[in-house]
Amino acid sequence: MKTARLHLSNDTSSLAAGAGRLADAWSDRPEIQLIRTSSRGAFFLEPMVERDMPGGREAWFNVMPEDLPRIVGGIGGTPVTEIPFLQQQTRCTFANFGITEPLAFDDYQRRGGLKGLAQAQSLSPESIVEELRISRLRGRGGAAFPVWKKWQVAQQTGSEQKYVVANADEGDAGTYCDRMIMEGDPFRLIEGMLICARTIGATRGYIYCRYEYPAAARAVKFAIQKALEAGLLDFDDYPFDLGVVVGAGSYVCGEETALLESLEGRRGVVLAKPPYPAESGLYGKPTVVSNVLTFATIPNILANSGAWHASLGTEGSRGTIALQLGGRVKQPGLVEVPFGLTLHDVLDRFGGGLATGSRFKAVQVGGPLGSLFPESQLDIPICYDAFADAGAILGHGGIVVYDHETDMVELARHFMAFTADESCGKCTPCRIGSVRGREILERIQSGQGTAEDLTLLSDLGATMKITSLCALGGRAPYPVETAIEHFGEEFRQGAHFMRPG
Amino acid sequence: MTTLHGQRLTETLESCRPLPPEEPNILQTLLAVQSVLGHVPPNAIPQIAQVLDIAEAQVAGVLSYYPDLLTQSAGRHLIRVCMGESCLANRSSLVLRAIQDHLRVSAGDNEPENRFTLEQMSCAGNCAVSPTVMIDEDLHGRVIHAGIPSLLEPYR
Repeated sequence: MKTARLHLSNDTSSLAAGAGRLADAWSDRPEIQLIRTSSRGAFFLEPMVERDMPGGREAWFNVMPEDLPRIVGGIGGTPVTEIPFLQQQTRCTFANFGITEPLAFDDYQRRGGLKGLAQAQSLSPESIVEELRISRLRGRGGAAFPVWKKWQVAQQTGSEQKYVVANADEGDAGTYCDRMIMEGDPFRLIEGMLICARTIGATRGYIYCRYEYPAAARAVKFAIQKALEAGLLDFDDYPFDLGVVVGAGSYVCGEETALLESLEGRRGVVLAKPPYPAESGLYGKPTVVSNVLTFATIPNILANSGAWHASLGTEGSRGTIALQLGGRVKQPGLVEVPFGLTLHDVLDRFGGGLATGSRFKAVQVGGPLGSLFPESQLDIPICYDAFADAGAILGHGGIVVYDHETDMVELARHFMAFTADESCGKCTPCRIGSVRGREILERIQSGQGTAEDLTLLSDLGATMKITSLCALGGRAPYPVETAIEHFGEEFRQGAHFMRPG
Repeated sequence: MTTLHGQRLTETLESCRPLPPEEPNILQTLLAVQSVLGHVPPNAIPQIAQVLDIAEAQVAGVLSYYPDLLTQSAGRHLIRVCMGESCLANRSSLVLRAIQDHLRVSAGDNEPENRFTLEQMSCAGNCAVSPTVMIDEDLHGRVIHAGIPSLLEPYR
């Protein structure tokens, strides 16, 4: 009998959805060959099993162990190319997902891997920076700083020792695309970092990975070993040293100066800028710190040209954005599309509307520091400018939908409590302001609030925004204020609220 | 600390001793200790400071800063319930309450028989199959509060 070639994702979220149970149950079945891949990112369909068929891959969704005969019999599969959630996406950085074996180096090369690095090797550092300038790539971690500027400063700053650091401290709740890259296509991250290292003349690189991502750290370490064996880390006149360093659960370590402090082993406390890390970063040396997704975007830019990247997206937001849908949507998962779709489009076409039994209440974009949008504001285009104009952020691309059962006072309290927990303590507005903010919201929640409390919260928010050292304190007021702006009744109503005097 | 613990601590610290001009890395040293002992006992601070040749306060400062550095031994299994926004939207507070009720333990505590320690976490990066419960290194997605007893059964 001919064996059926099946593909099953080994991504952490696929496993959490039950992929491991399938692999265990089918481990000794002679009629199949089971290949472990990355995930397509259509997590609502996981565990999803794909099978090589004469006309291309077919997929079976939400598979249980007892579904194997159906799959082997070829009954009821859907061609992968006809899955609407995937069909409507523009996969560039995530083109390999669901297709390759994450740690198979030849798979990576067969799918166009290392073309960017090869191109970079034929260019001068100045030409690479120029290509990035043309691409108009902005950092994907949240701050959206033009990538070429960082590289140019680090390249032009003279130093014996320079560093490249990938920020893999993906702490924004609702985001998981860095984890997917590290687990699912780690060579792409490494290739992006090597291109950066060659451009700026870095001798060492670190991937600062959060403690909560053990599988990602293992995958990247393994991939580094393979890259080392393949000679990729042998630069023309010196060996490049690349390693994974694991953090210990501090949210603020996603801020670049705090990350570098943590990398040096100290408390991950935010430092005032300037100096910027590109001039004086790790151990005081020029350091490019960029998000995992940013580095993973670089190889395609070098392989296809900066102009190609700049041809996608909108005026101020070029390229694609990796949106990560979560919360009460029907179809949570990874969506890579060019910038410019409206929030409504994304929730509707990809999210598939609300989960069964849920009605829409609000959506939060950009993690725990992102603004809340009510239904009336969903026509906002997903790009940096429109979000900045609305006082909102895209952050790292997390989108969380809240349904009608959500208690907005409790949610606002949760946000302030989060900042109070995670504040590094360096600046007073964040350290003290977040605690006072939480206390005010607890007072309102317990029915002891007064009208003055909302005024106080608003004053406090204004102070935190202007005077905090980093985005944690500076952005913390936004989700709270947008909750009050759009759902003020819940803060003012009945038992929650006593009139003054 | 038992003698065995003391011996393993000493061995671990020796491997973390910085070779000049290398600077000591406090966080990575503490993570190494935790990976061997399961936690970082505060009474080990003087020895750690001595090996790294720094002040005890510097070690204590790093130890108290990072939420994932544990200062007391956990139960045999560490349960972490994700309280990130996607999980919250998908009723993780009900899941947390169900675990608390089932094990009769509150978040941040060890269960009396020391089989489980219950903690909250801010995000496991498993948002698309939330709500999430992490038990040791195993991630469980789409957890429903009614399913808690059967979820915990294999770990007893």
